[in-house]
Amino acid sequence: MGNFFRGMIRASSFFRKEIFEILRQPRLIATLVAGPFLILFIFGIGYRAQSRTLRTLFVVQPNSAIAAQDIQQYGQSTGSVLIYAGVTDNQNEALDRLHRGQVDLVIVEPGDATSTIKNNQQAVFTLYHHEIDPVQVSYVNYLGWLFVGAVNQQVLRSFAVQGQKDAVNLHASLQEAHQNVSAMRQAVQSGDEALAQQKQQGLASNVDDVSLAVGASLSLLDSLQQTKGTNGGNADPVQSTLTDLRQNTNQLSNSTGNKDERLARMDKIDKDITDLDGKLAEFQSLDPSIIVSPFRSETKSVANVQPSISDFFAPAVLALLLQHLAVTFAALSIVRERNVGTMELFRVSPLSAAEALFGKYISYMLFGGVIAAILSALLVFALHVPMLGNWWHFALVIAAVLFTSLGIGFAISIVSQTDSQAVQYSMIVLLASVFFSGFIMSLDMLLPPVRAISWLLPTTYGTLLLRDIALRGTDPNWLLLGGLAAIGLVLMLISWRLMRRLISSSQ
Amino acid sequence: MTLASPSEPSQLLPDPIKDSVISAKHLTKKFAGEAVVQDVSFDVPRSSIFGFIGPSGSGKTTTIRLLTGVYTPTDGQVIVLDRNPAQFSQGERARLGYMPQLFVLYPNLTVWENLNFAASLYGMGLFRGKRLKGALKFVELYEHRWKLARDISGGMLRRLSLAATLVHDPQLIFLDEPTAGIDPILRRKFWDHFRELKNQGRTIFVTTQYVSEADNCDLVGVQNNGKLLLVDTPQGLRHHAYGGDMVDFRTAQPFDFQAEAMLRSLSFVRAKTVRTGPDSMRIIVDRASTATPELMEWAQQQNIQVQAVEEYMPSFEDVFVELVRPEVSNG
Repeated sequence: MGNFFRGMIRASSFFRKEIFEILRQPRLIATLVAGPFLILFIFGIGYRAQSRTLRTLFVVQPNSAIAAQDIQQYGQSTGSVLIYAGVTDNQNEALDRLHRGQVDLVIVEPGDATSTIKNNQQAVFTLYHHEIDPVQVSYVNYLGWLFVGAVNQQVLRSFAVQGQKDAVNLHASLQEAHQNVSAMRQAVQSGDEALAQQKQQGLASNVDDVSLAVGASLSLLDSLQQTKGTNGGNADPVQSTLTDLRQNTNQLSNSTGNKDERLARMDKIDKDITDLDGKLAEFQSLDPSIIVSPFRSETKSVANVQPSISDFFAPAVLALLLQHLAVTFAALSIVRERNVGTMELFRVSPLSAAEALFGKYISYMLFGGVIAAILSALLVFALHVPMLGNWWHFALVIAAVLFTSLGIGFAISIVSQTDSQAVQYSMIVLLASVFFSGFIMSLDMLLPPVRAISWLLPTTYGTLLLRDIALRGTDPNWLLLGGLAAIGLVLMLISWRLMRRLISSSQ
Repeated sequence: MTLASPSEPSQLLPDPIKDSVISAKHLTKKFAGEAVVQDVSFDVPRSSIFGFIGPSGSGKTTTIRLLTGVYTPTDGQVIVLDRNPAQFSQGERARLGYMPQLFVLYPNLTVWENLNFAASLYGMGLFRGKRLKGALKFVELYEHRWKLARDISGGMLRRLSLAATLVHDPQLIFLDEPTAGIDPILRRKFWDHFRELKNQGRTIFVTTQYVSEADNCDLVGVQNNGKLLLVDTPQGLRHHAYGGDMVDFRTAQPFDFQAEAMLRSLSFVRAKTVRTGPDSMRIIVDRASTATPELMEWAQQQNIQVQAVEEYMPSFEDVFVELVRPEVSNG
């Protein structure tokens, strides 16, 4: 019998031994399968895709210009995230209620907002909260920004509504100007210079009124068009039309001699008035909310599916679980051989480090693969997690994650002296994976040097690759997969060298 | 004291110097500066049973680990199968069988699976079932083969360990207290098997705390406090322990002091004689085989009616105590 064949027999001894030992622990297998499945299942049905609501108490000074009713309206305008819990003028009492947990947020309105604004300063709404979680603090800051935006919008909207109301008077002035131009044209054609002068003065008065009113109303529309760039050079901006109108009206009063010239100028004035009237009608037809907040955003994904939150986390859970399983099993494997005393037997026997490691790798790869297959089937067919990509690619990534994780585990096992040490090291790897692998937050949120830790963890690669395959339906990123396999290979070589030292060398 | 050369080697033993399987020269092992094995030298001839006896903590297990290459000596040299154990090839290791002092197999595997694991470890072929069955039947565990190792008794675990050591038919077998916790009947069976293995050409190095088992060995090393006190045949050990062979001399009439003094003055009788009764004495002689007819002749001359002259074989417990006594007194 050849040496190679004997070597395979020796390696197979570990393969059988490890598998039998695992199969003798049915509860462990059940836990490994049912645990993650149940966690994802409960998470899926229990997760609320809603923002957190905050019971909010408003503090309004007794002499404030802002009415309590407006405050409530402001709160509601942010959506359902702020639950109106009342208004008080006693800030201390409000803060006391906040400390006692009766409310989640206290918003204190700026005492004398009008004076502050007149002094060319922003008036400040102060938000008090009782959070210690940095994420929740950020959320409160975001709510403050949202709330003040809503208040500012309300103020602008009231300006727009007032402008539309003023536009009614403006329309009347423009109609009167139009009538004066018509009467003046008839007077010039009939040679009634006195009537023409009279109508010309009336027109000048109408143009002055229009100029004043347009500043506060139509200029909003003008600004909107300029911002959007929709005037496109075809339509004159309101201010430009208004300037033309004033110039033509002034020149009309100066040119009393030439009849044709005066009639031509009156045509221009008439056209400007018609133009302004048209814009005025357009302005009046607009919703004030649209005027002050003309834009909104809509997001549309080009991905093939829009996964739910549990769908999104499923590949990461699978990768993390497989890594932890492989690391823990491998980490305990060799340290236990050493503690039980079998290592002494191995040293005397013809077993080589490569044979022992090969047998252990194969057995744990097979075991991890079976667990991964059962879990993946449960996720896809029971929890309906999308699987858009190729199953072979999926299996390849699983194999690479297991292979690399086993390398970590074996390295831990060989350097550990006791079971407790091996378990502690495994837990540290798990903890690092939770924080650095992109499991709970995107890798982009980490500084680039810290991201180096992420790229040492199989879960990082597994999460990205499995998400791409399952949720995007794309081929795996071969560079990432190659990187993962390369790390696994390096770890295997390190483990082999350490194991060789452990088995071969005498004490 | 004789170390490497037994004073009366078994007839089956070849010349140990010429054909030794194990040769230890001034072997010393220290842990943290403290010597656990000190300046130990001996040779183990091929096809022999070499017993290594000594109390707990005397350095027996450390010595066996030095011989198997688990430990490297702090000083001295060891050659096993013509090679330093630390440099054994896989093929040479496959010729060894090693039974550690404690059970080191897997509690969650069955008796059969554990034995199968051990057989695979030595690269035994796929058709090894018959061999496994034979090994389990020898240690009387075949009926228990599907029991988990954690569910069998300590004695059964020792038997399983022995089966695992012998299953691949090794040439050189190291057994660290193989009979500890084994009932006397099975212990006897084990020793019968060891002798059978020896007769098949195997060499066995066995440690034991049961000094009575030394009688089953061809050569016995007595170890105490890390020092090898003596290597000899069992008979040689007795001889060394008491300064000669022991003969029980019983007469028909009570022994008087005059006769006793005359007996002591005989040239082949050592000074140390013990009166074991009014009509009996235990005499230490140079050699029992030659002393017996001389004693008979002397009794006839003295007109003493002899009832019995027979060689007395002291138990090895007594022999061991005698051997280590000077060591204890000195230290």
